[in-house]
Amino acid sequence: QATQPGQSQGSGQAAAAQPAASQPTAAVGIQGQNIFQVKPETRPDASSEPGYAEQTNGQRNRVQPGNNAPMWRQVQNGMEGYSSLPKSEAPEAGVLIQAPVQYPGSRFTTAGEAWRQVRNRWLIPYGGSLILITLGALAIFYFAKGPVGQHDPDTGRKIERFTPFERAAHWANAIAFVALMITGIVMAFGKFFLLPILGGTLFGWLTWLLKTLHNFAGPLFAVSLVIVFFTFLRDNWPQKGDLHWLARAGGMLGKPGQEPPSHRFNAGEKIVFWGGVLFLGAIVVASGLVLDKLIPNLAYTRATMQVAHMVHAVATVLMMCLFLGHIYLGTIGMRGAYSAMRNGYVDEEWAREHHAYWYEDIRAGRIPAQRSTPREGGAPDQVRPA
Amino acid sequence: MARMKFICDSERCIECNGCVTACKNEHEIPWGVNRRRVVTLNDGVPGEKSISVACMHCSDAPCMAVCPVSCFYRTEDGVVLHDKDACIGCGYCSYACPFGAPQFPAAGNFGVRGKMDKCTFCAGGPEEHGSQAEFEKYGRNRLAEGKLPACAEMCSTKALLAGDGDVVADIFRNRVVKRGKGAEVWGWGTAYGSKQAGQPNGQKS
Amino acid sequence: MLLTKKSGAAPAGRREDAARSPFIHSLQRGLSRALPTMDRRAFLRRSGLGVGVGIAAGSLTLVKRAKAAGGDSAITGAGKIEVKRTVCSHCSVGCAIDAVVENGVWVRQEPVFDSPINLGAHCAKGASIREHGHGEYRLRYPMKLVDGKYQRISWDQALNEISAKVLELRKASGPEAVYWIGSSKHSNEQSYLMRKFVSLWGSNNCDHQARICHSTTVAGVANTWGYGAMTNSYNDMQNSKCALYIGSNAAEAHPVSLLHMLHSKENGCRMIVVDPRFTRTAAKADDYVRIRSGSDIPFLFGVLYHVFKNGWDDKKYVNDRVYGMDKVREDVMAKWTPDKVEEACGVPEATVYKVAEAMARNRPSTIVWCMGQTQHTTGNAIVRASCILQLALGNIGVSGGGANIFRGHDNVQGATDVGPNPDSLPGYYGIVEGSWRHYAKVWGVDYDWLKGRFASPTMMTKPGITVSRWIDGVLEKNELIDQDPNLRAVFYWGHAPNSQTRGVEMKRAMDKLDLLVVVDPYPSATAAMAAMPGDPKDLNPNRAVYLLPASTQFETSGSVTASNRSLQWREKVIEPLWESRTDHMIMYQLADKLGFGKELVKNYQLQKVKGMDEPVPEDILREINKSNWSIGYTGQSPERLKAHMKLMASFDVKTLRAKGSVKDPATGYDIEGDYFGLPWPCFGTPELKHPGTHVLYNPSLHVMDGGGNFRANFGVEKDGVNLLAEDGSASKGADIQTGYPEFDHVLLKKLGWWDELTDAEKALAEGKNWKTDLSGGIIRVVMKNHGCHPFGNAKARAVVWNFPDPIPQHREPLYSTRPDLVAKYPSHDDKKAFWRLPTLFKTVQQKNLEDKVAQKFPLILTSGRLVEYEGGGEETRSNPWLAELQQEAFVEINPKTAAERQIRNGDRVWLKSPTGARLNVQALVTERVGPDTVWMPFHFSGRWQGADLLAYYPNGAAPIVRGEAVNTATTYGYDSVTMMQETKTTICQVERA
Ligand SMILES: Nc1nc2c(c(=O)[nH]1)N[C@H]1C(S)=C(S)[C@@H](COP(=O)(O)OP(=O)(O)OC[C@H]3O[C@@H](n4cnc5c(=O)[nH]c(N)nc54)[C@H](O)[C@@H]3O)O[C@H]1N2
Ligand SMILES: Nc1nc2c(c(=O)[nH]1)N[C@H]1C(S)=C(S)[C@@H](COP(=O)(O)OP(=O)(O)OC[C@H]3O[C@@H](n4cnc5c(=O)[nH]c(N)nc54)[C@H](O)[C@@H]3O)O[C@H]1N2
Ligand code: HEM
Ligand code: HEM
Ligand code: SF4
Ligand code: SF4
Ligand code: SF4
Ligand code: SF4
Ligand code: SF4
Ligand SMILES: [Mo]
Repeated sequence: QATQPGQSQGSGQAAAAQPAASQPTAAVGIQGQNIFQVKPETRPDASSEPGYAEQTNGQRNRVQPGNNAPMWRQVQNGMEGYSSLPKSEAPEAGVLIQAPVQYPGSRFTTAGEAWRQVRNRWLIPYGGSLILITLGALAIFYFAKGPVGQHDPDTGRKIERFTPFERAAHWANAIAFVALMITGIVMAFGKFFLLPILGGTLFGWLTWLLKTLHNFAGPLFAVSLVIVFFTFLRDNWPQKGDLHWLARAGGMLGKPGQEPPSHRFNAGEKIVFWGGVLFLGAIVVASGLVLDKLIPNLAYTRATMQVAHMVHAVATVLMMCLFLGHIYLGTIGMRGAYSAMRNGYVDEEWAREHHAYWYEDIRAGRIPAQRSTPREGGAPDQVRPA
Repeated sequence: MARMKFICDSERCIECNGCVTACKNEHEIPWGVNRRRVVTLNDGVPGEKSISVACMHCSDAPCMAVCPVSCFYRTEDGVVLHDKDACIGCGYCSYACPFGAPQFPAAGNFGVRGKMDKCTFCAGGPEEHGSQAEFEKYGRNRLAEGKLPACAEMCSTKALLAGDGDVVADIFRNRVVKRGKGAEVWGWGTAYGSKQAGQPNGQKS
Repeated sequence: MLLTKKSGAAPAGRREDAARSPFIHSLQRGLSRALPTMDRRAFLRRSGLGVGVGIAAGSLTLVKRAKAAGGDSAITGAGKIEVKRTVCSHCSVGCAIDAVVENGVWVRQEPVFDSPINLGAHCAKGASIREHGHGEYRLRYPMKLVDGKYQRISWDQALNEISAKVLELRKASGPEAVYWIGSSKHSNEQSYLMRKFVSLWGSNNCDHQARICHSTTVAGVANTWGYGAMTNSYNDMQNSKCALYIGSNAAEAHPVSLLHMLHSKENGCRMIVVDPRFTRTAAKADDYVRIRSGSDIPFLFGVLYHVFKNGWDDKKYVNDRVYGMDKVREDVMAKWTPDKVEEACGVPEATVYKVAEAMARNRPSTIVWCMGQTQHTTGNAIVRASCILQLALGNIGVSGGGANIFRGHDNVQGATDVGPNPDSLPGYYGIVEGSWRHYAKVWGVDYDWLKGRFASPTMMTKPGITVSRWIDGVLEKNELIDQDPNLRAVFYWGHAPNSQTRGVEMKRAMDKLDLLVVVDPYPSATAAMAAMPGDPKDLNPNRAVYLLPASTQFETSGSVTASNRSLQWREKVIEPLWESRTDHMIMYQLADKLGFGKELVKNYQLQKVKGMDEPVPEDILREINKSNWSIGYTGQSPERLKAHMKLMASFDVKTLRAKGSVKDPATGYDIEGDYFGLPWPCFGTPELKHPGTHVLYNPSLHVMDGGGNFRANFGVEKDGVNLLAEDGSASKGADIQTGYPEFDHVLLKKLGWWDELTDAEKALAEGKNWKTDLSGGIIRVVMKNHGCHPFGNAKARAVVWNFPDPIPQHREPLYSTRPDLVAKYPSHDDKKAFWRLPTLFKTVQQKNLEDKVAQKFPLILTSGRLVEYEGGGEETRSNPWLAELQQEAFVEINPKTAAERQIRNGDRVWLKSPTGARLNVQALVTERVGPDTVWMPFHFSGRWQGADLLAYYPNGAAPIVRGEAVNTATTYGYDSVTMMQETKTTICQVERA
């Protein structure tokens, strides 16, 4: 029986005979409560008057002095009262108790409690698990299949895959991301694995440091992300062959060891680009900037922060999983990829095997093999002439 | 052991802010941090009531549950305290607290907040009782001196009661019986669970 | 994982680092902006003071938990810890405070649960009183205005220059050219010394806040039954069965009084609030009645109409103890029929009836009033209407009944009783020759010398100008004022400027002065107003402005009289901060420079404070004890008061009487029988051991138990009607059971009681009455031996024939929004020389009518208090703990009125008044006020018609919060008896800014 929280007080008083057991149990999150047996109200019949339920607190006080059920009902629904503290300094001072909501995954209860339930019951355990599962999957994949290799030996001829600018943008972004990931993970999960080792105070100082780092790295990441996005935008447009690549899951299905041809970036990378960099990136950045209180003219109320946090947490977990995959492939998962991003050059053979269409374009001269002006002695000896 | 609780009697509270300044005075609380505040409902119309609110030292405290550095602890009196050395100022406790109790000395960009501060039930913090360090970080430790919270002791109408839950409930019950009316204790359901005597409510999360 | 308490002392190094945490950092934030110099708060924190104090002083508290956790902690603070008992200086409730002082620094404050007045309770102001020990925003040293900027000068320079200038003015224009505004913030001793100072200077041109506060009450009530004071007490309200608050917002203005009232309410007392505003007090009431501001008489007499009509008046009481009720009855029954009441105050018959019934059927019932009644052109009449209602119901002189008149400042009662009033000497001794002779004797000065100090003998007996109108003393044409010179110098000695009306004109008056001296811990509102540029035409090129830093009441000791007439002794908490000096020291030093220092302190010992001489407060109190027989300020010796402060716990909360025999260990004085604080009148010498009077005029007690009856102060008969009380109505156990006049040597001899005096007493009492008998013998014999009251036993007067309206009449305010009612209830005729000034009533009202001013300014503007701030507010707005709670001046507007003007909550608005003033304030859209009324708190200053005055403040002495003062906009209008200013009812228009 879902009695209205406020009414429970009213009726509790209205009927002194009604035993205390009439207290509704946790059907709804918050309840006022009638913890004491009291004398009957001044007008015992008042509760049967028409319009009783619609009475304002003033009207109710007239017929039943001291019965503030109408008011508590409103308060429990988040009614804002008067506070002499200025709104500019304490925007929520007038709110006695935050209105109840039901966040996805929580009960219908005060927003703070609802947020706590979402975070502690879903985000932390399942988010953490997801990350562990991803790591586990990558590990299994690595040990089971090993890195994606190269079948034929290097030709010795190099192609410039990433210009210094592209690499700088990427690494700035990557470093910021990793910093955010590590700091974020410590914030969210550190108390499960670090706190017992370090002890409260040390862990506190460390986390404070990392949290501060996170807060400042976030905006840096946001900027670099935008740059990365535009830098790689052109070559990430969907192209002919992407579907085929996808249909064969990048060579995992069909003839083993045979990677379907792709342009400069394959469909998998494109998914990471659109789904990870753009979609999740935008959400992470937007929610992160809210949490950082960097969006001007926004009322940073608790409700805003709770929502921003939940969005941020969901998006970052997904983003972490996705980019853990990306990082895996960019490092130990695929031979030659890392040095491409590190030095900028790939061997022609690497290009032919992994990005066949791109290689053809280069061979055909449609794409120059050397795009940047090489620094003195900066470029490898043998770059295919344009 | 005593279980410390607050009651604010809305039939008595007159929004005089005595409790608020008593707290500021006793603990040298800086501008912008309000461990306690007073809210008036139905302001200016019949049925108006005021309520003074601070940290309620919840039985199953949401703040404690979400703190990423687990810096909260509960004293044997049921007072919810925290360790400012460990606090990272992430603000999560303030998102979780239904009463808006946690306060931050700064409200800057980049999520800079400073160390969280909130009502300590005048019970200081983890430092040594009555030490300088304790005073500077958490304010006075009145409980250790055998005194009750400053806000309640100075409340102009004795609307605000603080102390052992059973004792304050008794005082309040007497008033209710005398008045023959008005039995709601605001915030107890949320703070201490719907069962009596501060039993935690529902599942933990 | 739960952390537990860290054990043992923490390693020093890490803790030091931790002390620089952001939180502590922000703790320090407040000061760095405040001061370049040494800072007390930082000192407090860094010096390690403040630690451990609590634990050492912990034993003070009465409320203890059974087992103190960690009570065995080491006491780390090595300093000397003292606990000084003092009293809150913000309002007349008189809440006691224990100040914990370590090595001379005020480190903590503790509630005094023992106090029968407040039981440890405090409102925001009292709970933050320790800020006075910081004094960060105070004036630190004397300053002088040079080229529009305040410059630091030395005390010597300041006193020399000021005294030279004052003497020069005296020479040129006589003593009347200087105006002395004293203070209700002063202790009794300081107020008394101030009046003495002005007398020895040779003038009656002095006043203090009571003028603009309860002057109408004091005059109206004293003229009704004898003394102008609250008849009962806050505590006694616990005995009431019904309480009618009309014109009081006690929840904000006297918050701790609600402690008693709410307790009473829980025991069944019915609480009714009548106010134009739905106040925090109204929120606690059983019934709330909204009236139009300024229409109290229609309402009160509307209630009285029902009392008479239903025969609820106490006929025996009225017959025995009241004069003139029959005439009032006729008047009321004819004029205040329910339709006329509703027309004038807007309250329908049924509601008025309900109030009457509640008051009548729940006796003893009490009435509470404050500024809502007093601050009107008809204030004296309104308060008398309240008295009449209570007399008709037989509620005066009854425990639980009474006229509970809530006084204002912490010592406004005391300052009124013994302080700088322009029409009386301490103890309400009128300024007639006999009184002057009485005081010449008390002061030990030659009467003729004293007379010679005045401009002329006539000026000696002519009431001075009032503080409400000093500006007219400057601005009015010389031939129209009733003294030779215009005012040329003004001393603001503990009074704010923004508390007086007509701010725009005040600025002009300030500019015209030759000398303005402000003696105040927070002189900054006056300072800024004087320094800001006005109309250059008004500026006197020779004007000199000085600011002198006074100490607060926590830097000295002395007695203070609470609203219920109890006196409490404040111990000195700390030494005067910065370069400040106590008021009595400054008075003495200035008197010395002006040539009458010796006379001023003749009866006092001097003590050294900061190496300088200062009269000893106890000695001043003893002089008061020796002279103020008329109101019973004679029994309250310093020793008795100090014993009471120590033994607070031994007084009953409801009756205020000592619970049995308890001896003060220091003096051996036994408080048995005493009422707490020896509420005046505490007759006779301290040795008589009169207990003080808890409930005035209460015949059910013996006079030596604080009983009494109405005072015989108006003769024995009027037009053949007996004014003395009827037979059988004398106080309990009195030897004379009929009415009787006041006692003097003749009556004593006639009754054959003369020989009960000792020879020494006879010598002093010969030719004297009870008020001038310096031996106190007449009082002793009359009271102790015969149970009679020295002031006689007479009837209270429902008709005060010496007032402009002997029976209170409703008159519309000068600025009214109701032309129809102005026609029916016009104001008084103008007065030519009234408190030395021409005073307009009808002229202004008629002109407003003709000019249709009410059409341009259709809203009633009324003003009042916020709980966080006090008075002009400079002191409280300088207290960060309070200032944070109210950061903007605002105006309350009804949602309907606001909607008509497209004003939303929080918008800036212009409030315009008929004086041409415009205030830029924030709108608070609220149902607290009705659609016809707007309300503003009056505590703000530092903004002037849209401009910030920060640049004109003395460096470092600007308050934290500044805002528009409502009194910049308030209009002309004064009470027809006391010159009370009209601050509660004027008109305005509000527009979106
Ligand atoms: N916090 C605080 N407390 C104070 C002071 C302070 O400055 N601040 N000052 C002290 C002093 S000096 C004084 S005198 C007292 C004053 O104490 P109060 O008189 O209680 O306070 P006010 O707010 O001035 O006025 C009381 C009420 O009168 C109402 N009122 C206005 N016009 C009328 C009218 O025509 N008729 C009636 N019946 N009511 C009307 C106002 O709406 C207001 O609510 O407070 C003392 N206590
Ligand atoms: N519009 C409007 N105007 C009003 C009122 C209203 O309701 N509405 N109320 C009126 C009433 S009732 C009153 S009482 C007045 C109050 O108005 P004021 O009394 O003028 O206001 P306060 O600011 O209290 O002024 C007291 C001054 O004394 C100083 N002071 C404090 N302690 C000491 C001391 O020990 N020594 C010295 N020398 N100075 C000291 C303070 O710093 C302060 O400057 O305002 C009146 N004006
Ligand atoms: C524009 C970029 C980002 C900004 C501005 C940002 C900001 C924030 C902020 C303000 C918080 C709240 C905690 C606090 O105040 O310290 C937070 C939490 C967190 N962020 Fe970010 N962040 C950003 C990007 C990321 C990225 C890319 C990741 C992951 C790779 C990430 C992972 C996390 C995690 C795991 C948390 C903790 C959630 C919890 O404890 O429940 N953030 N972030
Ligand atoms: C330690 C972390 C990272 C490593 C080691 C890494 C490594 C690499 C490598 C080796 C490549 C080249 C792949 C190729 O040649 O096709 C690459 C490409 C790329 N990386 Fe990363 N990366 C990291 C983090 C990130 C992050 C955080 C982002 C963005 C949120 C990102 C975005 C990209 C993009 C946009 C490309 C271009 C390919 C595409 O658009 O699909 N990388 N990365
Ligand atoms: S009131 Fe808020 S801060 Fe206090 S214990 Fe409960 S959740 Fe925590
Ligand atoms: S702000 Fe501090 S106390 Fe609050 S949750 Fe974060 S770390 Fe814990
Ligand atoms: S209990 Fe202490 S810390 Fe908490 S609000 Fe009251 S005074 Fe402040
Ligand atoms: S001190 Fe008491 S009455 Fe005043 S606001 Fe606080 S709780 Fe309410
Ligand atoms: S301002 Fe008045 S009520 Fe408040 S603490 Fe001081 S004396 Fe008491
Ligand atoms: Mo006043």
